Amino acid sequence: MEIIIDIEGTEPLFAQLIAQVKKAVQDRSLKPGDALPSIRQLAGDLELNHKTVAKAYRLLERDAVIQTKGYRGTFIHPDAEQNCGVDLGAIAAAKLTTTVGELRGAGATDSEIRIAFNTVMADRHQQGV
Amino acid sequence: MTWDQILFYIVFASQILLLSIVLPRRILARMQHVRETYPPADYPKLYPDPAEKYAVSRFVFQLAYLAVAGLGFVIMLLMIFVVDHGTFAADGFISEAWPAGYGMVQFLPFMLLEVSEFRQFRLMRQLNTRTTRKAELRPRRLVDFVSPGLLAAAATFFVGCVVFDLYAHDWVISWGHDTVQRTLTMAGTNLLLVAAGAWNLHGRKLNPHQTHADRSRQTRIVLRSLCYISMALSVFLVTQAADDIYRLAHLNAVLISLYFQVIGMLSIGFTVKCFETTDVDFDVYKAEVAGA
Repeated sequence: MEIIIDIEGTEPLFAQLIAQVKKAVQDRSLKPGDALPSIRQLAGDLELNHKTVAKAYRLLERDAVIQTKGYRGTFIHPDAEQNCGVDLGAIAAAKLTTTVGELRGAGATDSEIRIAFNTVMADRHQQGV
Repeated sequence: MTWDQILFYIVFASQILLLSIVLPRRILARMQHVRETYPPADYPKLYPDPAEKYAVSRFVFQLAYLAVAGLGFVIMLLMIFVVDHGTFAADGFISEAWPAGYGMVQFLPFMLLEVSEFRQFRLMRQLNTRTTRKAELRPRRLVDFVSPGLLAAAATFFVGCVVFDLYAHDWVISWGHDTVQRTLTMAGTNLLLVAAGAWNLHGRKLNPHQTHADRSRQTRIVLRSLCYISMALSVFLVTQAADDIYRLAHLNAVLISLYFQVIGMLSIGFTVKCFETTDVDFDVYKAEVAGA
């Protein structure tokens, strides 16, 4: 199984990695329990920064598409195929659309909504969540 | 001249010929073959430097190994006709410093070539205009490239060498003792071999055009070669340990000369023999067709 990334593509590199791993799981090129390369190996082979690959792995792990088993390495999650369909970004966008709609309906201006959103996000960062 | 000396000069002549004539010529022949079969016009990515530069590099390498070979024959003549071995070494035998020191010089042209190769790969990476990059989505593990049997054999040779050394010296373990020094030397060298192996296995991809299959084949050959070198080192140190009980001091120079030859064969010779150019995918070095 080969992964191909376009370093001049419009999609961020970590997102390309995530998309291709998920696609490989959905195509069954990668099956539950299959081992993945280490962050260092993949970063070296693709000539990418380790942090880019680490971020992709972290998000894939969060979505339960992959799992890290300590020193043994990183593997495809047993429920990866069904978890690949879950797109947290799309869920967040849908929820925000509903909320923004409700706020506009209540008379809030876009700048008020934007300031409120930024305040909530800033509070989240301050709390270290 | 004693029989030991005659034996040494035969072995030393073989060291000169093997490491400074035969192996470099094989490498040159291979370079020539690649250049003729895969010319710069059809495979431009294989030659990031201008053509004249390759001719100069080739000439420098040729000059270097021939100069080292000439030096070897001069050293041999000095050893036969000028040096008084009875006073040169404390034990009166031909000192092992001759083949060891000269052996190190013999590897210099190969190191020169290696440095030049690193430079070529750096240029290839700089000139690489492809915006897409590929990688295998599976881990490279040591046992995928080297059989567990070979790894176990290398480890057994290491342990066997230490045990034999201790046995030969009545199980004496004290700081500064030959056994401890040899064990530390062997451990240090093996650590370097492990580091070289790890770098080959997990390190950065130097050649940006090399296919996964070619890289895997190269890694397999290098790792096997490192295992064989580790085993050869163990065997050599066993002969050094045996020196004390079997009184082999008169053969030390012969043994170290043979050791250098074996190392040369296992590293350079083995790699050149196993990594056939016919197995390499040279299509990756062809010019990219516009719009492809």
